[in-house]
Amino acid sequence: MANHPHNRNRLCSADVRLSKYNPLPRILYFDDFDEGLNGWCELVGNHTGDLDQIRPIAKDFRPPQLSSCTYFDIGTHGSVDGTYSLKLATRPQRNHLAVAIKRMTYAARGLVQFETYVTFKSELVPDGEPSAEWDESSRWDGNVAPSERQFGEFTFSNDICVGETGPRCHGVVRYRNADPNGKLVQTWLYPTSVEPTTKMDRLGLVPSDSRPDFFAVSPEDWREVPGGRQPLCFNETASKVNWHYVRWLFDLESLRTIEFQCNDLCMDMRDLAVPMHDEEYRGLPNLLNLYVAVRTHVNVRNFLYLDSALVSVDW
Amino acid sequence: MLRRSFTAVLEKGATFSGEFSTEPYEAGWAHEARWFVRVLRSDERVGLQMVPQISPDGTEWCDEGSGSIRLQGAGLASMPIVNFGSWLRLRGTTTGRTGSVTVLIYLALKE
Repeated sequence: MANHPHNRNRLCSADVRLSKYNPLPRILYFDDFDEGLNGWCELVGNHTGDLDQIRPIAKDFRPPQLSSCTYFDIGTHGSVDGTYSLKLATRPQRNHLAVAIKRMTYAARGLVQFETYVTFKSELVPDGEPSAEWDESSRWDGNVAPSERQFGEFTFSNDICVGETGPRCHGVVRYRNADPNGKLVQTWLYPTSVEPTTKMDRLGLVPSDSRPDFFAVSPEDWREVPGGRQPLCFNETASKVNWHYVRWLFDLESLRTIEFQCNDLCMDMRDLAVPMHDEEYRGLPNLLNLYVAVRTHVNVRNFLYLDSALVSVDW
Repeated sequence: MLRRSFTAVLEKGATFSGEFSTEPYEAGWAHEARWFVRVLRSDERVGLQMVPQISPDGTEWCDEGSGSIRLQGAGLASMPIVNFGSWLRLRGTTTGRTGSVTVLIYLALKE
């Protein structure tokens, strides 16, 4: 794999399921979704037992699914090696966000690497009408899928808390496929503000109900990762599934992303500051959470699929 | 290996009035399923009826055909489903007087 800084693990080369990955010396977990959800679950906002306490923006992130990638035109597509993948599905509502999380703690402040094979789709319905005003299906050229422009974005985030009271931060990388007007953006982004928390909301540090972006204070708080434009393989029809390799290397010591790689594009992000929370957080020593998310910009369900996920460390 | 199971919360304190349906949920890996519907609160004399639906593709739906779930006021009811293919959802409607119900809806799946 291009630009990979680590020697290949010989054991991984001997295992067909692992040989498509490039782990650091110790595999913390390997989640093959043919074997179940492996601890990936719905993220939910904080509460004390009363669901009405949950921030509206964090109340409906949807339960993850084990998907066979089954479509009305071809039936079951399947995953990279097997039948099932982890699927996140939004509601068919503009700006709706689905988020799945896996929760761990770290044993040392070293490197953590998340790898996965991912694909993304917008929902294609029989006799459906991609009815937004920017639809170009009337001049469909037989090549480019109109539904590609109905897919908004997917996001990878971690949640790190050092020691008893912090510092706390969220490293975040987002692939914006299209904007709400259906214009293809196809660019990797990073946030310039923190990912607002329930505590920030209750302290009045951020607006609550009207905030449209869970991962940043303002939807304007995103910048292009240098060299981050990368068209991905949506393919020509929404039921044709192509998987993409993703590798995210994060340093728990510097609290920076070192590299983010998708297929043959490897972005050096070590000079990009990760926004740090000013507040003190308790109850989260050595927090090491990872989450994946998908958001639709239009009234069409958007789906994110992970064939499998592997997290490895150098400690 | 132990047989796998998974419980999905399809609605979490959502409020409905009139006709509605839950989001499609893929369950092709499961051998059996059971819906749990809990009404947290409802307007006076407003009931809830929910019918399981199945689909081959997650987009076109028909009633599963074995029955329905009915609730009047706060409470919990459930209904099993087998031989359902790959996709499940509930079609629901409020009954009785015009008003709303607030619900938790669970889908419990087992291999």
